[in-house]
Amino acid sequence: MKNVNIAVIGFGNIGRAFVRVLALKRKLLAKKYGVNINVVAVVDSKGMVIKPSGLDDYEMLKLCEVPKSGIYMFGSYAKQGVNVEEVYSKAAPNIHVELTPANYVSGEPGFTNIMLALKSGAHVVTANKAPLVLHYEDIMAEARVRKLAVKFRATVMGGTPFLEVLASMKSHDIEKVEGILNATTNYILTEMHDNLLDFEQALKKAQALGIAETDPTLDIEGFDAAAKLTIISYVIGKPININSIYRESVTKITLKDVLDAVKQGQVIKYIASLDAQKMVASVKIERIPRENVFAQINGTLNGVKIKSDATELFFIGRGGGRMETAHTVLDDVLEVALRWFT
Amino acid sequence: MSERESLCAIKVGGSLLKDGKSYLEAAKNIKKFVDEGLLPIVVVSAAKGVTDALLEVTRGAAEKLGKVFDLYMGIATELGSQKVYKRVLEELELLKRITNSVIEGYDPVLQDLILSFGERISKVLMVEALEAMGVRALELNARELIITNDVHGDATIDYVTTANHLEKLVNSIISTAAVPVIEGFIGATEDGRVTTLGRGGSDYTATTIAALLRLNDVYLVTEVDGIMTADPSVIPTARIVKVMSYREAMEAALHGAKRINPKAFEPLEKFYGSVVHIGSWKLFGTKIVQAIPKEHRGPKVMMHRSLHEMPYIAIIGEGVSDTSFIKKVIDILYEQGVEIMGLQTYYYRPSIIMHVKKGSEVSTLKLLHKKVFEEVD
Ligand SMILES: NC(=O)c1ccc[n+]([C@@H]2O[C@H](COP(=O)([O-])OP(=O)(O)OC[C@H]3O[C@@H](n4cnc5c(N)ncnc54)[C@H](OP(=O)(O)O)[C@@H]3O)[C@@H](O)[C@H]2O)c1
Repeated sequence: MKNVNIAVIGFGNIGRAFVRVLALKRKLLAKKYGVNINVVAVVDSKGMVIKPSGLDDYEMLKLCEVPKSGIYMFGSYAKQGVNVEEVYSKAAPNIHVELTPANYVSGEPGFTNIMLALKSGAHVVTANKAPLVLHYEDIMAEARVRKLAVKFRATVMGGTPFLEVLASMKSHDIEKVEGILNATTNYILTEMHDNLLDFEQALKKAQALGIAETDPTLDIEGFDAAAKLTIISYVIGKPININSIYRESVTKITLKDVLDAVKQGQVIKYIASLDAQKMVASVKIERIPRENVFAQINGTLNGVKIKSDATELFFIGRGGGRMETAHTVLDDVLEVALRWFT
Repeated sequence: MSERESLCAIKVGGSLLKDGKSYLEAAKNIKKFVDEGLLPIVVVSAAKGVTDALLEVTRGAAEKLGKVFDLYMGIATELGSQKVYKRVLEELELLKRITNSVIEGYDPVLQDLILSFGERISKVLMVEALEAMGVRALELNARELIITNDVHGDATIDYVTTANHLEKLVNSIISTAAVPVIEGFIGATEDGRVTTLGRGGSDYTATTIAALLRLNDVYLVTEVDGIMTADPSVIPTARIVKVMSYREAMEAALHGAKRINPKAFEPLEKFYGSVVHIGSWKLFGTKIVQAIPKEHRGPKVMMHRSLHEMPYIAIIGEGVSDTSFIKKVIDILYEQGVEIMGLQTYYYRPSIIMHVKKGSEVSTLKLLHKKVFEEVD
């Protein structure tokens, strides 16, 4: 049995779901694949747990019960304050799992953490998009030099293997990728259409249900979808800068707009699109005929169309969701573990 | 005993959970099971009064939230640790944010979400109380495990999906050797929306877990020592029924017996006949089993109902529709000169129903209770 040590940086929705899923599944995974995934460090914004021999299942599950920013309360392996270098000097993880929040201005703390991980010889799995969006080339160059993997399947349509499929279409000339890439705004629009709520009400409901964040700016102003387009553009080898992506804000949509559209047999959707031939990208409010595939993608579902010179593919699935995303992150971790450590 | 056989389920009713002391008391009693080598899966209800208060909150009485805040923060403070205090505060603040965002008008999705906090917080407190008693304990999430249809407010459990989830979890539970605590009364649809299971939903959660995991025993703990032969506030000489069948229990529930939730027997009938023990921490006086041995046939419970113009008395028990028992009842009534207005019984149902004149139901019930339950042995 091979042991693979991982460090989990960021312990919010995804971090907790990931540690929980791993605690419950790792024995089975070990049996099935012959690798034992050990969590040697977990970090949130206020503290860290470091245990070089790896947390046991019970400890992992108990860790998920600490309050927000409460890792420092977790008994003898815990300490206050964050120092990712210390994680590396004390526990030398093989895989770094980056689950910190996205900051599209600085890319931090993700970028520094990821570079530190690579320089320390660890492979990287990230659900945080910002470091890739702002520093894709730097990160990949470092990984290449050190012969390390950087996996980020959870960053676009996080609950599905969409990016894996896109990346594997190597012989294709990808012409266009477009669709509904943000679950929060799609949920809000669905509420507006189905329950005739105005934007504010729908947003409030989404917040109440934990679908939208307290500060929903990244979603409703289109940054999140634009970030995803940027990552897609890198994956297909036609990079587009996030700042050059045209964005409209969903806050502009009124209930009247929705009703007008419905009267004409249409629905309003928030469509992200990347035209790889013209090299332009946008996140726009669009009216779509009711029969159109995108009109059927409702609630927190995402849907994307890939058009290449040879084919057209549709991808429908959960964009986020903590359990789904946690599994995608775990799939990345397993893939690295199996490819490099067995 | 194999590890799997050491599992059982215990539901702690909300009437028992009033303050920090009562959580610790419950924990102490759960510890007794652990000390005997059992690994109980604990199903908790919301603390006393919380669900009603939250229901009022969902109907617009936002001020009732204060009551829930005070109660749960009080318990968290009593239990002591900084960790539990912060956790409970976090949950309550989230609850407050959600209630603040409730839009005008009734939204069943949000109503269930709000109600679910009663059990969610109770679970955190119970885990803390168990740990204070030196028992390893773990939180489980009903929202991830108990999958239901989308009938908000009275959802039915999807047994197949739930069984899959539970089955995957059970080995982890056994290998961590920690007492898992799960919320009763709540579940979630397949796409993650919180649902509630209706009145008595926590019993339903407990029996579902027991049936799907094929556990031998499920304990439903409340304040009373068991199911009584009649309502003791009417018949002070009522006593505990030791053994009943599922059929009898469901029939009794149909006629308004308290503390029995008919839905709770569905998974037991469908999947596995766990023994249901009903009682208090002091005494689990009543056992409800799939089929009762012959010697336990006979009347178990009687009650009166005065809802309609013509009130009725029901006697419940396998065998009460036998001619010999009907004759016995008729003889008793005949000897005492009680006129009945109607009598109903079917061979396939464990009950006999007698309609009586308005005003005579209590005296008739007393008479029958005395003759049937008190003078036989
Ligand atoms: N939610 C989804 O469905 C989804 C799907 C795909 C991708 N993602 C991406 O995954 C990432 C995590 O999402 P999430 O929903 O789990 O976010 P979240 O709940 O906000 O969690 C972020 C975590 O990072 C921690 N953190 C913040 N600053 C830190 C620092 N300087 N050092 C170490 N830890 C720090 C936070 O600490 P505290 O706990 O102390 O605040 C928190 O534990 C985000 O980048 C998000 O965009 C999310």
